[in-house]
Amino acid sequence: MSDAVAILMAGGVGSRLNILVRHRAKPAVPFGGIYRIIDFTLSNIANSDITRVAVLTQYKPLSLMDHIGDGSSWDLSGRTRGVKILPPKTGEQDWDWYRGTADAVRQNLSFITSSEARYVLILSGDHVYSMDYRPMVAYHQERGARVTIGMITVPWEETHQFGTAIIDENHRIVGWEEKSPNAKSNLASMGIYVFDRHYLLELLTRHKEEDFGHHIIPQALKDGEVFAYPFSGYWRDAGTIQAYWDANMDLLNPESGLTPESWGIMTNITTGGMTYDRPPARIIGSGRAQNCRISPGCVIAGTAENSILSPGVVIEEKAVVRGSIIMHDTVIREGATIERCIIDKNVVVGENAAIGLGDSSEKNREFPSHLYSGLSVIGKQAVVPDKAAVGTNCIICPEVLAADFTRLEVPSGDTVRTAAEADALKAR
Amino acid sequence: MINVLAMILAGGRVDELGVLTFFRPKSVLPFGGLYRVIDCSLSNLMHSGIEKVGILSQYRPFHLIRHIANGEPWDMVGRNRCAAILPPFKGRTESDWYKGTADAVYQNIDFINLHKPDLVMILSGDHVYRMDYRDLIAFHLETSADLTIAFTRVPVEGASRFGLARIDDEEERGGRVLEYVEKPKTPSSEWASLTIYLFKPGLLIEALTQNAQKASHEFGKDIIPLLVQGARVYGYKHHGYWGYTRTLDEYWQTNMDLLGSHPRIDISTYRLRTNMAHREIRDRGTAHLGRSAVVEDSLFYSGCDIRGTVVRSILFPGVRVAEGAVVEDSILFFDDTIGPGAHISRTISDVEVHVAGQTEIGGSPGELTVIGRGTAIPPGIGIDAGVTVYPNLVSSSFTKSRYVKGEVIQ
Repeated sequence: MSDAVAILMAGGVGSRLNILVRHRAKPAVPFGGIYRIIDFTLSNIANSDITRVAVLTQYKPLSLMDHIGDGSSWDLSGRTRGVKILPPKTGEQDWDWYRGTADAVRQNLSFITSSEARYVLILSGDHVYSMDYRPMVAYHQERGARVTIGMITVPWEETHQFGTAIIDENHRIVGWEEKSPNAKSNLASMGIYVFDRHYLLELLTRHKEEDFGHHIIPQALKDGEVFAYPFSGYWRDAGTIQAYWDANMDLLNPESGLTPESWGIMTNITTGGMTYDRPPARIIGSGRAQNCRISPGCVIAGTAENSILSPGVVIEEKAVVRGSIIMHDTVIREGATIERCIIDKNVVVGENAAIGLGDSSEKNREFPSHLYSGLSVIGKQAVVPDKAAVGTNCIICPEVLAADFTRLEVPSGDTVRTAAEADALKAR
Repeated sequence: MINVLAMILAGGRVDELGVLTFFRPKSVLPFGGLYRVIDCSLSNLMHSGIEKVGILSQYRPFHLIRHIANGEPWDMVGRNRCAAILPPFKGRTESDWYKGTADAVYQNIDFINLHKPDLVMILSGDHVYRMDYRDLIAFHLETSADLTIAFTRVPVEGASRFGLARIDDEEERGGRVLEYVEKPKTPSSEWASLTIYLFKPGLLIEALTQNAQKASHEFGKDIIPLLVQGARVYGYKHHGYWGYTRTLDEYWQTNMDLLGSHPRIDISTYRLRTNMAHREIRDRGTAHLGRSAVVEDSLFYSGCDIRGTVVRSILFPGVRVAEGAVVEDSILFFDDTIGPGAHISRTISDVEVHVAGQTEIGGSPGELTVIGRGTAIPPGIGIDAGVTVYPNLVSSSFTKSRYVKGEVIQ
């Protein structure tokens, strides 16, 4: 589709994902064993034949830049195709951070003006879904719209997280509320916009506000011809620890509608500069695995149930992993037990350690709104000592070492930090 | 660094591999649940820093060409790097198929001259082993050899299938080759050639040019024995694993050597690279093991969907095993499907084979059963150990309810 370019907003912090976004932006968070969240949108773009893409980054962009590489994993590299990564740049002010989604696009208008595309797709890199954008652009064309917004019906109790629209019988948007506590509609914006190129350029020049949802869309409504494009498939925000865990677990449920392979989701399998390809997964000795998603390079000598394993995960003999998401190259040592955990990359869980056992009613004391259902989260490169007993709703921060555990028992709801981090916190 | 040009002999097929080499040369035979056999040589070259490679192709080259692509999977693309497929060609004055391994290289002397190498390394593309060729090159240079050949120790019984050498025990790494005999009836040495030859280019070209006038054109048979007499030929001893894939039993065993808690082939140390775009490996979703899955001592890759029982087997990407099916001691290539209640043992099944439910295939112990690519086996039939099933068969090709050892279904 040569008459559209895509701008992918990938700068979001996603702070409700807690320590999973300590070292990476939300779109770069690993998902479903082999993917990162941004793969869904990037693959949708590629599968919609859109060949020119700008990725606007801001927060901790290194993982993301490494992952996107030259774009060839999504067939987005070549003479007429490309992914441009656009971080905030030094402008007239010393260092112009993006102040919002509209501001980010405004600072990169040259990406739009340098192309001949008639339509600009503005997308979020935060969501798990599959969508062909071509019918949406056609819909936009047919209606002679200035702006078309991808929208989905959400449960009423979630409407406060979204921009919501009131539409007439022609799907024309006649009312708009941004993150309203008492929304009058449960038709929510997916953060997917098709703009007429000239209208977008004119609108962003005329209005200097920062955010599409809060400022620009209400302005566009005054000009009229803003339409809702209804979407009804699988779509998840995965922006909280609980939603993230739920969406991953959807991969184990054939009825969930989440089927990345049949959606044609592509990823970069060479991230991290590996000098070889991950070998097939191996189950050895008395190892067994049931109701699991298992990635290449895993070695299972223990037991895995109802879990999602990223590449290179090792589960040693007599270790048991249940209901968990384990990321790249994490090792679960002999005899350890893991229950309902999200464990980031390169973690070592010591021999006979137990994590996630016990009463799940004790919410995390520092982040009760992040960890409340019994899930525990272990940060990247942490080391959990042998025989440690870590409860539910616990946070083990990234890079924590065995020595940072002042005692082997970590009660439910506790947080374990590195000594340096704990000191810094006290000093504050 | 010294400029080494590698030439991989990758064009051959052998009758012993039967239906597995109907549509591909043996160098691109799938191996180890993900790879092709030639990935071993290519990965060894890459990790040894040898990134200029000519690949001699002949028999049914489509899958080889597709697998090698532009050489990028092995980093063999760039200003001074390449993986060039070298097929037989029509010349101005003569044209012919490659008449043998030596002739294949002889016909590509222009390719060698073009690269002006310090050394030419000739390799076979159908062996499974890990070797840092830099050690071999260092040995070659230290001994001022004209030609260095790698050897590995094999049991004397059965050694008559190989080129055998008596090697002077100069040092641990090897020594001067005192005698070389190709496939002797009564073996007198246990050092078998790995078909890894490191040549001084001048000597190679001279030997090939002389050989071109003769009737037979094989390195092992014609060129090596002659050079042992007149040139400094050294033997380099390889002590690690070496897997041969020239018969069905060997091919099956080499794959099975990947299994177990302490496998003979520790695949992670091989650091193998393959072409992840070939058969769309990279776009496969994670392997799914269902609630009813029982998987023991096996290898499987992304795209697999296992709901039945899999024991001591190797499953390539996209294999689906239905609930109630049993697969044991078998190798299932890309995108095979095994229906509910089917029982498969000691079977090698090529790509896109569909086995319907309630079938019984292979047996244990006994000869291997082999199924050619794309065949669909109808429900309820029995195929015993030692049966060969041809490619692309449909239900109506099967006229009996039971096939016994030695039968060929076509």
